[in-house]
Amino acid sequence: MKKTWVFFIGTLLLMAIVCCSGFAAAKTKMVVWTYMEGQTQIDTLNWMFKTYNESQSESEIVLQYVPFADFKKQLSVGMVAGKLPDLVVIDNPDHAAYAQMGLFADLTKYIAKWPERKAYFPGPWKSTTLNGKNYGIPFTSNCLALFYNQEMLKKAGVTPPQTWSQLRVAAKKLTSPGVFGLGMAAVKSEEGTFQYLPWLLSSGAKIDQLGSKQSIQSLTVLADLVKDGSMPKEVINWTQADVEKQFAAGKLAMMVNGPWNIPEVKRDAPGLKWSVVKIPRDKVYSSVLGGENLGVVNGKNVAAAWKFLQFVGSPKLVKEYSVRFNMFPPRQDVAGDKTWSEDPVMSVFMDQMKYAMPRGPHPKWPEISNAMITALQEVLTQAKTPEQAAKDAQTKVDAVLK
Amino acid sequence: MKQDCNADQNQLTGFWFVLPALLFMAAFIGYPIVYNLILSFQDVGVMTLNNPVKEWVGYRNYLQLLGDPLLKTVLANTFYYTIACIVLQFSIGFALALLFNRSFRLAKSIRSLIMIAWLMPVTITGLIFKFIFSTNGGLINEFLLGLHWLSKPIEWLLQPSTAIWALIITNTWIGIPFNMILLITGLSTIPREVYESASIDGASPWQQFIHVTAPLLKPAIEAVLILGFIYTFKVFDLVYVMTKGGPVNATEVLSTFSYRLSFTEFSFSKGAAVANILFIVLFMVSLGYLRLIREEEGM
Repeated sequence: MKKTWVFFIGTLLLMAIVCCSGFAAAKTKMVVWTYMEGQTQIDTLNWMFKTYNESQSESEIVLQYVPFADFKKQLSVGMVAGKLPDLVVIDNPDHAAYAQMGLFADLTKYIAKWPERKAYFPGPWKSTTLNGKNYGIPFTSNCLALFYNQEMLKKAGVTPPQTWSQLRVAAKKLTSPGVFGLGMAAVKSEEGTFQYLPWLLSSGAKIDQLGSKQSIQSLTVLADLVKDGSMPKEVINWTQADVEKQFAAGKLAMMVNGPWNIPEVKRDAPGLKWSVVKIPRDKVYSSVLGGENLGVVNGKNVAAAWKFLQFVGSPKLVKEYSVRFNMFPPRQDVAGDKTWSEDPVMSVFMDQMKYAMPRGPHPKWPEISNAMITALQEVLTQAKTPEQAAKDAQTKVDAVLK
Repeated sequence: MKQDCNADQNQLTGFWFVLPALLFMAAFIGYPIVYNLILSFQDVGVMTLNNPVKEWVGYRNYLQLLGDPLLKTVLANTFYYTIACIVLQFSIGFALALLFNRSFRLAKSIRSLIMIAWLMPVTITGLIFKFIFSTNGGLINEFLLGLHWLSKPIEWLLQPSTAIWALIITNTWIGIPFNMILLITGLSTIPREVYESASIDGASPWQQFIHVTAPLLKPAIEAVLILGFIYTFKVFDLVYVMTKGGPVNATEVLSTFSYRLSFTEFSFSKGAAVANILFIVLFMVSLGYLRLIREEEGM
């Protein structure tokens, strides 16, 4: 019996010695959580971390993948259980909510001394702040535009629509058996809200005016497309990836989608002739700002993590990873680069970026988002009239914002 | 005297055998239940998670939920779905059990084949049925259109009224084998002599079923119904994969609603309150079941 104990304690000691000595000499290991998937994106992140790890001897950055569907849950559970990474690549509308919940470290004092802060676009920059404090830096940016099938438009004698009324006429003309004029994602999640926002913002409504006349019009224009048969009712179950597949298969003449789907369309339909224009407008051109931010988790490695953020935010690196990701740089000086300004498709997105509005930032964005997508689903399924759906959404948002 | 001592000794030994399981249950089942109860009486959400002290708000979360028309919809959906599933899978499962209880060639192999539906991961089943029910090009619509039974496709997952039925049909398909196997097991315990004497007495097959099979199967039937209710009532994966609770809120059930409140809207306390409502319903059903068993054993 005694021997067993001695052996047991001895083993423990040995393990302790081996583990601790291993850490003492090594770099601080910092874990980054991301939901970015797809080989290109993972490769880019790994390349970025490797470059940084070899450039200094203080810390080592390690990637940890968490699926998008589980991401918010893992973070929330991690906060309660105390199992968190050191850095998070976060979807920009969620940044404020997590900052409010105390996940992210307040970086205001570091950022105030960082000259690069002035180079960022205001939209992405705003999404990293809450109540005047900084909780991270923008990482990637994207927005939405209208993709159209050039051959189909030519055959129907339609020019790419610029206004809502032109869109309704064009979509109807482009609809034929097996082909719908327009497709978008209206699935019941942040993705659906993301796709609905350009229409809402173009009408001149704000997110706290969901019951307004303008907001009702934005719901009506989309409901009319479904009523005309120009847009499939299935959009209420489509994610943006589903929309891309339909467009690539020639089942949609036009679709609303983002730049990250450009390589997907090229791969799924190599022979397809397509191009991009700005999303048709009501009063003003508008789009919605998508993309990721980098936040530092409250903990003992904040200073080391900030050094890594400075590295990520340098113009050279921003350009390099944006090209590899097929997304937009959140920095104005980099965005002027000919990679984006001279490419016929990318330049349209670049132009659209000017009108891209961030979602929120508001700590209760997820609830506001839910009110909006519910209203859209209600009108698309004809469960409610646009007036009624808008009124109910206003009631919900008022309760959230009070 | 000596015997008493032994009995005590036995009791004690038994206690030590049960203890590890008890500790395990207390840590992994008891603790979360208690924690969830406490959480539902506090105010933990986006704005307050960061506060060192969690505010105690009593029944406020429950009262707010009861005032929310959405909770009524969710409760109605959950009960509607559960009852429809149970009725369908129990009656079809019972019919199949009676069929496969006869011995004919292939009976055993077909029985095992039917089990596949039960053994498949629900996520996979959900995805497959999502395709089967799709409006354009889905198997069911193509089949009915091909037979000219339909003039235009049914929008299964796109209309509130049909979406819940798409889920019910899918879950019934999953649940039939489970009902069938448990009932076959029950049927195989009924001695043949009982039927023989019943037929000698001149009972028709129908009368045999009513007066012999049904009463003798009662324990098995009760077990199947109660277990079926518990499995069906807490459905999550199927709904999450097929409809995400949509269109609008037509297929939102208690479990998905709780998940949504906690993990997409970060209203942790409200999510916990919904989870507790789910727990209370299942707890009542389980208590009722335990009483039934006790009464029968007492007979």
